[in-house]
Amino acid sequence: MTPRTPHLLIVDDELHVRESLSHWFIEDGYEVSTASGGKEALALLGRQHFDVVITDIRMPGMDGLELQKRIHEVDPEVAIILVTAYASVSTAVQALKEGAYDYLVKPFDPEELSRVVEKACEKVRLREENVALKQRLAGIGHEIVTGSSAAMKRVLELVDSVAPTDATVLIRGESGTGKELIARLIHARSPRSFGPMVAVNCGALSEGILESELFGHEKGAFTGAASRRKGKLELADGGTLFLDEIGEITPRVQVDLLRALEDRKITRVGGTQEIPVDFRVVCATNRDLEKAVREGTFREDLYYRINVFQIHIPPLRERPEDTMAIAEHFLKKYAAAMGRRVTGFSSAARELLLRYPWPGNVRELANAIERALVVCPEGQIEPGHLPIVGRTTREAGADEDDLSLQAMEHRHILKVLRLNEFNITRAAKMLGIDRVTLYNKMKKYGIERP
Amino acid sequence: MTLSWQLELVSIGAVAPVVMRLLREDLVSRLSHAVWIAEASISPVPAFDHHRQQYLASALLEMLLVPPPPPGVRRIAVTDVDLFLPVFTHVFGSAQLDGPVGVASTFRLHPDAVAGTVDPEVLRHRLLKEVLHELGHTFGLVHCRVPWCAMSPSRLPEEVDLKDAAYCTACAVRVGVPEEIPYHLDEQDPP
Repeated sequence: MTPRTPHLLIVDDELHVRESLSHWFIEDGYEVSTASGGKEALALLGRQHFDVVITDIRMPGMDGLELQKRIHEVDPEVAIILVTAYASVSTAVQALKEGAYDYLVKPFDPEELSRVVEKACEKVRLREENVALKQRLAGIGHEIVTGSSAAMKRVLELVDSVAPTDATVLIRGESGTGKELIARLIHARSPRSFGPMVAVNCGALSEGILESELFGHEKGAFTGAASRRKGKLELADGGTLFLDEIGEITPRVQVDLLRALEDRKITRVGGTQEIPVDFRVVCATNRDLEKAVREGTFREDLYYRINVFQIHIPPLRERPEDTMAIAEHFLKKYAAAMGRRVTGFSSAARELLLRYPWPGNVRELANAIERALVVCPEGQIEPGHLPIVGRTTREAGADEDDLSLQAMEHRHILKVLRLNEFNITRAAKMLGIDRVTLYNKMKKYGIERP
Repeated sequence: MTLSWQLELVSIGAVAPVVMRLLREDLVSRLSHAVWIAEASISPVPAFDHHRQQYLASALLEMLLVPPPPPGVRRIAVTDVDLFLPVFTHVFGSAQLDGPVGVASTFRLHPDAVAGTVDPEVLRHRLLKEVLHELGHTFGLVHCRVPWCAMSPSRLPEEVDLKDAAYCTACAVRVGVPEEIPYHLDEQDPP
């Protein structure tokens, strides 16, 4: 996009000054208007926008300082460069205090004059870009969250109402419904959007690692802490902290987290110094936190601290009208990434997609489309391309007739989890894998704790 | 399509005849238009400002309009005096935007001018570029964003060296210089 030509307004009671500057800046490629005094300048400013005003200080009637004040009352974004034939530090200081961009003494060094005006225009341009970017970020969302069902519209309405505030948000929904996407949307549409968005998966980390991950550590705080490291809470300063799977954190970390959220101060592991932090908190969980509070596994005070504003994302099976829109979205995305010339879904494939209950929600649907594109290089996606063919129930993946390795893994993990009453640590140990891998596999197969 | 115009070079003050001759040769070999040197030189004295101890560029432009250049003729003056415009400490040159006259000064073009030593080749290159620059203004060209184009702005003599003695394609079309004519100073002329 070609940047627009900056528009300058030159205000001076001397004709030769107006003409010389006008000629100079027209040669430099600017759009230039002139005014012989403050009154004429204000009239011009009332009719059109100027990026930079170059005005003499000493003029009959309204002087340059008064003009600057009047301009900034109407449009504080205009960069004003004051000029005078009399060098005076006190006038310069006053002008700068009043918000002038710069101050020049006549006669000008041509190089300096051009440089100052170029910089002023650059500042105006950057500010405009900044505003445009903020507006663009504010518009993000209704494109990245696909779905036009009434339920998803309601979710987006809630996002719109809470995003501009600093309120803590608790996002609830089954695994794979896109809780992190909603958290990112809240961040993108908040006044903190230019700050960092830091996400932590609390369920994937053991207590010690999570503590260090959240609060950071000092050098030598524990074996392996070879250097000082900032924690996620510190890194989120000025932005948004997203705590995914908040229901999984242990009682000890719950205490530390509650203190950090209430005091807005943290202490690194092994450290003594309190570090002030300023972030907005968005949490997510697929667990029944109220039940956890009743059972005493989740602190009630922390529950109330994070449950200020709640957004519930409905599972995909409750909004089947979104299924095809999401499927089409991922088809386009993955086809472009893989260079596939796939035109769409056959009617049989559509029927299958709509009939399947998607226990793994959007994540499972996305995986299914990606896998379908691997085996279907062109034409239409047929039911045979979809890894869900033959499954129509919630636990379709555990169908005993399905002898694929994936289905068998699904069944085996479910079996071990049930055997261990869904205790992740014990189940992971029995399976011979770590907790993170088990969590990932549970997500993949849409397995939830009862 | 090549525009029909001619260029008259005029010296103002004590510009050495050899400087004018070399400039004309450089311009003739690079522009497909007639270039000649006016026999009479002009005195800059009427444009002298006693307070500033400099010469008013706009006054020199007015002097160049007497008598007015014939239709189709651009009149560009070369001077060795220090030029200024009332609001500027100095200017390298000045021209009527989309008008028939312009002036380029050698006074601030030489880096060693203050020390009193002059490298004729450096001066020759810079003067050629500045004359092409002022000539471009007489065709209504404003400053060009192509860094090597003769119409890009130069605030320091060293910046003049960064440009070519040539117009970019867009500016060449406006001036009416055929694009196939090699007019880079350092290129060899065609046989």
